[in-house]
Amino acid sequence: MIKEFFASLLHYFVNITTAVLIVTAVYMTITGQQMDSVILWEILLSGAITALPSAFLVCLDIRNGRILLLLWVAHYLLIFVITLLLINVFGWYKITAFSTILTFLAVVFIYLFTCFVHYIVDMKHAALMNKQLKQRYPKK
Amino acid sequence: MKIIIESPQPNEEDTIIIRCTSPDQQLISMLLSFQNSSTELIGYLDNKIVRLNYSDVYYFEANENRVFAYCHSDVYEIKYKLYELENQFSSLDFARCSKSMIVNLEKIEYLTPLFSGKMEAHLKNGENVIISRQYIRDLKTRLGIQEVRL
Repeated sequence: MIKEFFASLLHYFVNITTAVLIVTAVYMTITGQQMDSVILWEILLSGAITALPSAFLVCLDIRNGRILLLLWVAHYLLIFVITLLLINVFGWYKITAFSTILTFLAVVFIYLFTCFVHYIVDMKHAALMNKQLKQRYPKK
Repeated sequence: MKIIIESPQPNEEDTIIIRCTSPDQQLISMLLSFQNSSTELIGYLDNKIVRLNYSDVYYFEANENRVFAYCHSDVYEIKYKLYELENQFSSLDFARCSKSMIVNLEKIEYLTPLFSGKMEAHLKNGENVIISRQYIRDLKTRLGIQEVRL
């Protein structure tokens, strides 16, 4: 369980940090802002902080679909609140109604990106496992 | 090491012949566990007591301190704990797929990933069972897929 947690934490950290870098690159290109080198450390830290609840959630073995859906919604809202707090702490930009909507959309993108990357990797693993199953148990 | 499986002559009993320089402890314990392993189960369905062969079971599920064996269309109660079944059948084609379930690998038609990081096993009788994330790694090992371990 602990091993699984740390493995998931590492995967989520890499995926979230990549997604945050993409969002930052797009934002800076559009606004024409210059980047201070400290922002790279802030991105890495934000990736590590937001990876924690994600790794914890996937380690829970919950079979009830409704509870699982509620947990994913709560997880999304938690990530969104953490992101807003980090933006405020790091002073990336001023929190307004417009910037909150943009942050919401950015978190949606990061969320979908992370899920998509995990899904692609899992699809590859599932294909390998299906191949092994076919070899081991050929159809009679 | 070579593994050769030959069909016996008609009316001849199934026989295992080991050809090796000297049988080590691992080989002897493996043969003893094979000889002592029981592949039959007693299942209870309403008032009926049925002898079940392990190969007919699609999966075992624990529910409220009771354990059930799911066959093609019938569900039998089994008077064993889930961990006892896991120990008894782990050398066969059964693998733990969640805290409350053991699945017969031979009955899996195919696997599909889920967005939550879990996998769904589509069984040959049309049922689907969820494989928890923490058991996927063990399942991969059982299927001979090597992974980089952290």
